[in-house]
Amino acid sequence: MLFFITRRLILTVFLLLLVSMITFAIFFLVPRLAGQNAYELAAQYVGRNPTPGAIKAVEIKLGLNDPLYLQYGRYIKGIVAGIHYNNGPDVSYCPFPCFGYSFRNDQPVWPQLISDAPVTLSIAIGAAVLWLIGGVAIGVLSALRRGSFFDRLSMGIALAGVSLPVFFTGLVSLELFSYKWAIFPNVHYVGITTNPLLWARNLVLPWLTLAFLYAALYARLTRAGMLETMGEDYIRTARAKGLPERRVVLKHGLRAALTPIVTIFGLDLGLLLGGAILTETTFSMPGLGQFTILAIQNQDLPEIMGVVMIASFFIVIANMIVDIMYAVVDPRVRF
Amino acid sequence: MKRRSIFAATALGAMAALLISACSSGGSSSSSGSTPGSTTAAVAFNAGLNSVVNPSSQKGGTLTFDNSSTPDSFDPGNTYYAWVLNFDRLFAMPLFTYKSCPGTCGLQLVPDLATDMGTTSDNGLTWTFHIQSDVKFEDGTTVTSQDVKYAIERTYDRSVMANGPTYYQVLLKDPTYPGPYKDRAKNLMGLTSVQTPNATTIVFNLQAPFPDFPYVLAFPNTAPVPPAKDTGTNYQLHPMSTGPYKFQSYQLNKQLVLVPNTEWNPATDPNAKQLPSKIIMNLNVNQADIDNRLLAGDIQVDSAGTGVAAAAQAKILSNPTLKADSDDPYTGFAFFAYLNTKVAPMNNVHCREAVEYAVNKVNTQTAYGGPYAGGAIASTVMPPNIVGYKKFDLYNALTQSTGDVTAAKQQLAMCGQPNGFTTNLAYRSDRPKETAAATAIQASLALVGIKATLKGYPAGSYYTDFAGAPAYVHSHDIGIAMGGWGADWPDGFGFLDELSAGNTIAPTGNTNIEELNDPVVNNMFKQSNSQTATANQALWPQIDEQIMKDAGILPLIYAKALLYRPTNLTNVYVQAYYGMFNYAVLGVQS
Repeated sequence: MLFFITRRLILTVFLLLLVSMITFAIFFLVPRLAGQNAYELAAQYVGRNPTPGAIKAVEIKLGLNDPLYLQYGRYIKGIVAGIHYNNGPDVSYCPFPCFGYSFRNDQPVWPQLISDAPVTLSIAIGAAVLWLIGGVAIGVLSALRRGSFFDRLSMGIALAGVSLPVFFTGLVSLELFSYKWAIFPNVHYVGITTNPLLWARNLVLPWLTLAFLYAALYARLTRAGMLETMGEDYIRTARAKGLPERRVVLKHGLRAALTPIVTIFGLDLGLLLGGAILTETTFSMPGLGQFTILAIQNQDLPEIMGVVMIASFFIVIANMIVDIMYAVVDPRVRF
Repeated sequence: MKRRSIFAATALGAMAALLISACSSGGSSSSSGSTPGSTTAAVAFNAGLNSVVNPSSQKGGTLTFDNSSTPDSFDPGNTYYAWVLNFDRLFAMPLFTYKSCPGTCGLQLVPDLATDMGTTSDNGLTWTFHIQSDVKFEDGTTVTSQDVKYAIERTYDRSVMANGPTYYQVLLKDPTYPGPYKDRAKNLMGLTSVQTPNATTIVFNLQAPFPDFPYVLAFPNTAPVPPAKDTGTNYQLHPMSTGPYKFQSYQLNKQLVLVPNTEWNPATDPNAKQLPSKIIMNLNVNQADIDNRLLAGDIQVDSAGTGVAAAAQAKILSNPTLKADSDDPYTGFAFFAYLNTKVAPMNNVHCREAVEYAVNKVNTQTAYGGPYAGGAIASTVMPPNIVGYKKFDLYNALTQSTGDVTAAKQQLAMCGQPNGFTTNLAYRSDRPKETAAATAIQASLALVGIKATLKGYPAGSYYTDFAGAPAYVHSHDIGIAMGGWGADWPDGFGFLDELSAGNTIAPTGNTNIEELNDPVVNNMFKQSNSQTATANQALWPQIDEQIMKDAGILPLIYAKALLYRPTNLTNVYVQAYYGMFNYAVLGVQS
C-alpha cells in the first residue's frame, strides 16, 4: 500500500508538470500563434486610454517580451523556489509554492487560491455528503421496492434532477426560499469559524441544489447496481441461511454494488473541488469556481495557471483515494 | 420490512413538514417594494434626479453595497472606473470634487482638499493651489502638500500604477519623470513640474495652458499619500484615509468593510457625510442576486451604477410602487456609430450624411434596451448632463426617428452613389446590445441601398487592434464602427476632445475613430486653451455642431440606467457627473 501511494504521488508530480505545460501552451502560446504580440497582450492589462509607454512598461514588468520557454521556466521556478516581486517602493518575496502574481491586481495567486478553497470545499463536501447518503439510500430503497409507487416516484424525481441544469435549480431555489419566502434570506458565504450556524444556513441552498443533481445520478446508479447484485445466487444463499434482511442488503448486496459508485464519487468530488463553477456563480459564493470564471474573463494568465494546477491536483488525489478505497470495499483488490 | 416502512414514512413526513412550513412562513416583500418598518412617504419616479429622497441625518446602521464585478483597484491613484471614482470619496479626499447636490448642481467642480479654485499665472502655464491645514490621515498625521505631490508622482510609474488616468504625463512639464519607485533615493519628490514651497501650497507647471486643469485634479489620484505608508501594489489593500471612512478589512475581490474614520473633520469636507456605522461592499455577486436583494431590502445599493438587469427592469417598470422608488438618470455615457472620414466612399461628407439620415434610431434604441434601460435617442454628440450641452437636430433624429429615407437618398445622389454603396461595419461581438444595434443599423441602411457587412471583434482588443487602429480600419474598409464614450470630466473638452480633435488620432487605442481632422474643430479646441472654462461653455456647443456638420459621428443614444433605491436608503439622489447615486452622502434607516 505504501509503495502504491508513493508511486502515485511521484506520478502526480509528473502529471501536474504535463498539465502546466499544456495550460501554458494554450494561454501563452496560442495567442502568439494567432498573431498577437507581447505589446498587444500587455495592452489588455493596462487601464483606459493608455500611452504607448504605459503599455511597454507593463509588457516589461509582466515579462511578456521574454521568450516563452523563459516565461515558463520562471513560472515553474516560482512554484518550486519562490520569486521576488517588485511592488513599487520595495521588493516582496513570494515563497514556495508561488503561482506567480495576478496580471490584473498584482497580488500573489497562491493566497487567493487558499482563501477561496474553503468556500469550494464547504460547498463540495457538504453536497457530497448529502448526495451520497441521499442518492444511495434512495437507490437501495428503489431497488428493493422495484415497480412500487416509491420506486417510480423517486426515479421520476431523479430524472428531473439529472435533466435540470444547476443554474436553473439554483435560481428557482433562490427565488422561492430566499427572496419570496425568506427562509434563507441574503445567502452569502460566511466562514465556519466566523459563525458555524450561519455558515451552514447559507450553504443549505447550494448543497441542496448540487445534491439534487448528483443524488439523482447516484440513485439511478445504485438502483441499477443493487438490482444486479440482489439477483445473484449468493444473496439467495445468504437469505436461505437465515441472515437478517438488513445484513443481506447492506453487507452483501450494497457492498458489491459500491465499486462503480466509489469510482464515480471520486471523479465527481475531485472535479467539484476544483471549483463548482455554476453553483458558486449562481449563489455568488467566492470559491475556486468563481475565481476560475474571473480569471478567464480577465485573461489573467497566472490566475488561470494556478487554478488549473489546483483543480488537476484535486482530481489526481481524488482518483488515488478512489483506488485505495477499492481495496477497502472489495477484498479481492490488493496492491 | 417494518423498519423500511418507518424510514420511508419518516422521510415523507419530514418533506411534508418542510413544505408546509415553507408555504406558511414569511411573506412576499418584493411585490410591495417596501422594507419592513419603513414609514417613508411614497415618492415619485425620477424624484432622485432633482431632489434628495429620504433626507436624514440619522446615524448608525450598516450600509451594504453589492457589485457584480470587481474594482480595477481601490488604490485612489490607480483607478479609472466611474463607480470607484464615486465610491473612493468615502476614504479619499482629492484636491477637487463635484458638489454633492442633485440636478445639474452636481456638475459643479468645487474645492475639496484645496481651499479654493486656485490661481493661474505665467499665461496659464502655472497653477497655484492651497490645501486645508487641518485635514488628517486616519492615523492622526496632518496632510501636507508634499503628500499630494507624492500621490501624483506615484501615477508616473505605469508598471506599478497601470490603471489610472495619464493626464499628468501629458500636461505637466517633466514628462520623462520615471516615478518615485525606481531609484527611490533620487526620484522621491523628484517631479520638478510640481513644487511645494510650504506645507499648504502646491504649484503645478504645465507644458501649455489648459483651462480645464482643475477637472484633472478632481480624480482621486490627487488624494494625499504619505510616502512612508505607500506600499505600492499593496496600497489598494489599505489606502490611508482622509475621508469619512477608513478600511477595516479588505478580502481582495470579495468584501470590503469600512468603518468611520475618527480623524475626519466634517467641517473640512462638506461634500461627504459620516452616517452609517459600517459600510460593506460585496464584490462578484451575481447580478440577478443583487437585483433581488435590492428589491427585498437586504442591500441598499448596486454600486456598479449601471442599473438593474432586464428581469428586474420588467418587475420595476410594471409595478407603480417599485417604479416610484427608482430613478432613470443619464449616465454621462453615449453610444455612437463612428463614420470614418478616410475610408471611401464614407470619406465623402454626403455619403456620411446619408447614413445619418437613414438609420432607424428607434430600432437602435430598442437594441440598446429601450428608453429606460438603454437611453434617449441622441441628436448631438454631447449628452444633456455635460456642461455646454445644447440641443439641436441636424439630421431629423428626433423628428423622424425611424429614419428619413428621402433625405438619405438625396445625400446619396450628392455623393455620387445614387444606388447606395458597400462598406464594412465593425462592432464588439461579445456585447449583445451592440450586436443588436449593429444589426438594426445594417437593416435600416439596406433600405436606401447601403450594404453594410457586419464585422465582429472581441471587446478586449477592439480599440487597440481593430476599430481603434487606423491602419487596420483602412485596410479592411471599415466605414462604420460602433462604440461608446463617457467623458473624464463633464464639460465639452472632456467629452469632445479625444473624440474629435485632429491631434488625438493615434495608431492604436485611437479614440478619434472617425479620424476627423477638421481645421475648424481643431482651431476651436485651440481657442479653448486660451480662454477660461466659463468662456468655453459657449464654445462647446459650437464644436459639437461642427462635428455633426462633418457627419463624423452618428449619435445613437444618451445612455441611461434604471436605478432602484430601497426605501431604507436615506439622502438618495443622483450625482449628475457620475450618473449614479452619490455614494459619499448615503445613510441607512436601521
